[in-house]
Amino acid sequence: MKEPSPIVFVVDDDEAVRNSLRLLLKSVGLAASALATAREFLDTYRPNQPGCLVLDVRMPGMSGMELQQQLNIRGAVIPVIFISGHGDIPMAVEAMQQGAFDFLQKPFRDQDLIDRIQRALVKDQTNRAELKERARIQERLTSLTPREREVLTLVASGKPNKVMAGDLGVSQRTVEIHRARVMEKMGASSLAQLVRMVMDLDEPGASDA
Amino acid sequence: MVSLTVAWTTIFDIGHFGNTGLPIDYRILQAQAIILVVAIGAQMLAGLFAERREGEAHLVRSNAMLERERDNKLLNAQAITASIAHEVRQPLAAIATYAHACDRLLSLPDPELGEIQAALRQIAEQAVRAGDIIRRLRSLAPDENTQHGPADVNAVIAELTDLIQSDAKAHGVTYRAELATDLPQITLDRAQIQQVVLNLVRNALEALALAQLDTKEVIVSTRRSPEGEVEIAVCDNGPGVDSQIAGRMFDPFSTTKTAGTGLGLAISRTIVRAHGGSLEHFPHVPAGACFAIRLPLDAPG
Repeated sequence: MKEPSPIVFVVDDDEAVRNSLRLLLKSVGLAASALATAREFLDTYRPNQPGCLVLDVRMPGMSGMELQQQLNIRGAVIPVIFISGHGDIPMAVEAMQQGAFDFLQKPFRDQDLIDRIQRALVKDQTNRAELKERARIQERLTSLTPREREVLTLVASGKPNKVMAGDLGVSQRTVEIHRARVMEKMGASSLAQLVRMVMDLDEPGASDA
Repeated sequence: MVSLTVAWTTIFDIGHFGNTGLPIDYRILQAQAIILVVAIGAQMLAGLFAERREGEAHLVRSNAMLERERDNKLLNAQAITASIAHEVRQPLAAIATYAHACDRLLSLPDPELGEIQAALRQIAEQAVRAGDIIRRLRSLAPDENTQHGPADVNAVIAELTDLIQSDAKAHGVTYRAELATDLPQITLDRAQIQQVVLNLVRNALEALALAQLDTKEVIVSTRRSPEGEVEIAVCDNGPGVDSQIAGRMFDPFSTTKTAGTGLGLAISRTIVRAHGGSLEHFPHVPAGACFAIRLPLDAPG
């Protein structure tokens, strides 16, 4: 299934700001969807839609910061670029701590915003690729038998076959067979790769910021 | 703002509407140059406001200062400046973004002129909006040459009757004044107190606008408070103030309105405190909200 092309979402309660952003994005050939409230975004956003979110901080009803928290709770990975009419540094710091991709004060230079959007879209792609990879590993993991799982854990913790055989109370030859099956099922071409897969799964969300 | 408006007029004069003898490309270049000037102008204006940013951040953070400060002439000026800076940034952001977008659209091989024209009109409209915001916020600010003098609070309210009446009527709201007869004269700044009362009445009308009620009512009443102060209360029978908001509604920039600055109550309270008085919210029984301004009596002698 082909991945849908990215959309830049704009959420700002100010109609003029919203519409001007939509036009700017159009002028550089980016697909945009502009919404007036955080609620509308939450109600319509589908997690499998790649893109990024340009979000006003202060809005009546659900604020930009609250929307960001909601997205965090739902485990959404969409990168958020905050735009604010306030020169409020504590607010910017908080947004960044909550995992915002960037923070821009209004009014901004078009190139500043467009550069950030481009970077956010790249980041989104990376996030999605990582998620997909993680899901694939997870799926393979579920195809392992309980015994193979045990072997995987022991292999990942660096135990030699001989020690594993002792731990599991089976012959070294059996361990070797299990081990080969694990490598095959997990699609790992080397021990190092297998260990990395297990580590990736152990640390959810451990991607580079 | 004036320069933006002038630039706008110029665009109209020499864009593809005028000078039809010029080759298309030249006219587009000309328009592009002007759009850039507009964008740079917007950035410069924003820069001016950015200088005040420090004061603004300070204001938002330290509401405690609002609480303590009594000699708040300076504070008023700060609040107004901060709010102008914030509010004006919205139209400025729109102006800059529209201008940048037009510039980029005109660089495309086959620019859609209708779309660009609509954006240019928006630029003009947003410049006017920025001017309106400044005017509106200036009107919230107390006059620089404040005039304190002895006044009959009832007369101060009575002077507002026509204004409130017409505003209330426009909102489908009944206005009633309940004025006590035993009030002493007190020293106050007439225009400032009237500004506060009007602000509270507008809030009430806006709250009522959202309510589904057969009879919508705003009452401005005066009386001697149990503590002996002169009290002016503005009450409505609307939905009342959400308890979640009640705690922070006097904070600067806290607003639930789509078109509010979030400064009305903060400035109102500042003004009343400058009079040595208090401005508090009470739930209105059986329904609605009350805001009570309490002003101290003049010290004897």
